[in-house]
Amino acid sequence: MSVLSVKDLRVRYSANGPEILKGISFELQSDDFLAMIGPSGAGKSTLIRCINRLVEPTGGEIVLLGEDVRALRPSELRRLRRNVGMIFQEFNLINRMSVMDNVLSGRLGYTGNLRSLFRHFPKKDIEKALYYLDRVGLTDHVDKRADALSGGQRQRVGIARALMQTPKLLLLDEPTSALDPKISREVMALIMGIAKELGVPALCNIHDVQLAKEFCNRIVGLQDGVKKFDGETATLRDRDLEEIYAMEVL
Amino acid sequence: MSATDTHIAGLGAQTTLRRKRQMKQALIWTGVLVFAAWCAHGTIIADTDWSRVGGRSGVLASIGRYMQLDLGLLPELVRPTIETFMMASVGTVLGCFFSLPVAWLGAANVTPSKTILYPVGRFLMVLSRSVHEIVWALIFVSAVGLGALPGILAIAMRSVGFISKITAEAIENIDAKPVEAIRATGGNQFQVMYYGILPQIYPVVLATIIFEWDINIRRSAVMGLVGAGGLGLLFFRQMNSFNYGGVSMVILAILMLIILGEIISHYLRKAVI
Amino acid sequence: MTEHAGRIQRSQAPKTWSRYRFPESLWRFGAVLAIIVFLGYSMAFMNVDIGLLFGALGGLLGVIGTRFYPPDIAYVLDAGYLASILDTLQMSFLGGMAGVALAIPLAWFSAWNVSPHRRVLFPLGRLGVISARAIHETIWTILFVSVLGFGMLAGVSALTMFCIGFAGKLFSDEIEAVDMGPVEAMRATGANSLQVFLFAVVPQVRVAFTGIAIYTWDVAFRAATVVGFFGGGGMGWYLKRNVQQLENLRVGAIILSIIAMVLVAEFISGWLRAAVNRAK
Repeated sequence: MSVLSVKDLRVRYSANGPEILKGISFELQSDDFLAMIGPSGAGKSTLIRCINRLVEPTGGEIVLLGEDVRALRPSELRRLRRNVGMIFQEFNLINRMSVMDNVLSGRLGYTGNLRSLFRHFPKKDIEKALYYLDRVGLTDHVDKRADALSGGQRQRVGIARALMQTPKLLLLDEPTSALDPKISREVMALIMGIAKELGVPALCNIHDVQLAKEFCNRIVGLQDGVKKFDGETATLRDRDLEEIYAMEVL
Repeated sequence: MSATDTHIAGLGAQTTLRRKRQMKQALIWTGVLVFAAWCAHGTIIADTDWSRVGGRSGVLASIGRYMQLDLGLLPELVRPTIETFMMASVGTVLGCFFSLPVAWLGAANVTPSKTILYPVGRFLMVLSRSVHEIVWALIFVSAVGLGALPGILAIAMRSVGFISKITAEAIENIDAKPVEAIRATGGNQFQVMYYGILPQIYPVVLATIIFEWDINIRRSAVMGLVGAGGLGLLFFRQMNSFNYGGVSMVILAILMLIILGEIISHYLRKAVI
Repeated sequence: MTEHAGRIQRSQAPKTWSRYRFPESLWRFGAVLAIIVFLGYSMAFMNVDIGLLFGALGGLLGVIGTRFYPPDIAYVLDAGYLASILDTLQMSFLGGMAGVALAIPLAWFSAWNVSPHRRVLFPLGRLGVISARAIHETIWTILFVSVLGFGMLAGVSALTMFCIGFAGKLFSDEIEAVDMGPVEAMRATGANSLQVFLFAVVPQVRVAFTGIAIYTWDVAFRAATVVGFFGGGGMGWYLKRNVQQLENLRVGAIILSIIAMVLVAEFISGWLRAAVNRAK
């Protein structure tokens, strides 16, 4: 079953600026863990941000969970966003808040303004936060400030925050490029394990081809805003990689 | 030309350059001093009634009058001292409330309208700071009558400029990434501000408010000079009845209050950071 | 894959969590409550009507509209008033220069790292700067007027005190932040504290001091617009006279002229400071 379908997606940041995405199309199935690879500047970050409209597309069509993303009004868009968990390259935590508050902030889409104002989240949310904090191995750091943690721990807070949304899709924007190789592997394994466990598909921007091959079942290759490869991980040949990364080799 | 010659020629060029700079500096200093002399002539020599000053003994006698403290004034000091402290505190809090919308309008990255409301916000910041607190007090005394209220309002208005300017700068310098994360969870506009922006700016804003409160104690001590309550009013009365010992008592009370303010703000700042 | 996941340490998960911890939360809520109670009590103590407080802003616009509008612009273009603007400028310049000149030695005394005498001169310097700062410029003006008589001498003296307080603090903060390496090097050569100050500290702070001095003049000008209100000469004297005579349209024009002059002064000081930063 297709969870996400992107057709002929185009993005320009300004009317006369260069086209960042030049007509990208792909499908994401409900059991996919899809890696989006490509050199930096290929448009991976822009593409992933179009899916929950953190970046406004200028052309094409995105159908996510049966809804036309580009046609949504602001309130509908927020409702859609809360179904999409997002994990960021630089974690994007709120540094001055505690780990617990950062994780709970994943529930904001489900929380009213008054509760938000007093940071008074329902008991069920707190239990859920404790469960996921345990799941990512941060039980001992619940009340620490987010900026007191190491990079790997911070990314786990980011993962727990995304899971709090009870996502139907995970968007991972370079989740490991700010981490060292050993921690990267642990974090990828954790995300993948949880995604499988919850039966949630994931779309993962990733720079590191080795990691992509190791963890993802499908790969889409992007270069300069154009799709160069789309297929099962096993079918990815060195020739394809050369084409995707051609710019960098030159 | 040998290497040594080049080197010496280079030194020569350097010397000329240095001489040029020295000339320029001498010129600036001469200009400043001549201007100062002209100012001194205009303000001090031409404008002063030296017979009124009355030589060194006259000045010393005038200062001496302040040295006999009027301890009998002590009971009358209590209420205005408390009032001054309260005026500064309430004025600062009110100033914070006024600052909120001004900072919102005047921060380039969150302002609702860059062409109309942003300049309005910036203008309000400048206006608040360029009008002296005494002038604000005069305006408010004329608007709401005598008493503590015009003092509170004057202090609030005078505080808006600095607090909102620093707040707007803090908002402009925030890290956009957490804001993006909150938007991605489906948070609404309020939640984005409250969870994404506020935690990033509040240490700076609180430190600024404490700093401003400290200054506002000084300001509220003079509000009474133009009819707005507090120690200034007592100062004014003592001065008008030529009770110089009483004037000194009021000044001592102001100093006490300011030292108290310094101590409190020192601890508050520690608690915030 | 599972072996990666297995590496994460898992301890016993707590069943509940609460934001409220016994002693810390109590302190925090107590402090917030105390502030609110204090503010409320203040309003009662000062007999301030809260409704009036928030209504006052609307009232302000009304007052400006009916009482100060239209400002009597012709009045501020009169030769006598224009001369007073010049007087104000002269006072602020002189007060600023004298204040800065006196503030530099005081700042040197009161900077802990290079103070020439930590036991005597340091506290004296601190006391000098703090007391100059603690007393508002208007009170300095009244005091000097009572000693020296009405006129610009009193105004300049008051502005001098104000500038000592203002610049002294900024100067000593700047001195305390210097790189101590050159200071130690000078001390190692056997230089006395004046020599250390002149050769190790001054070169480091010269540019910053120039900027602060210009800024001090800007702030002094702002203060100079009102010293006349208390007998110190300049624009403030006209303000006082018209306030007392209830010439509100003239008062409005004078306030406008003050705002305009302060903006001009701010612009000039900003331009000069940028020029100084470029020249360094």
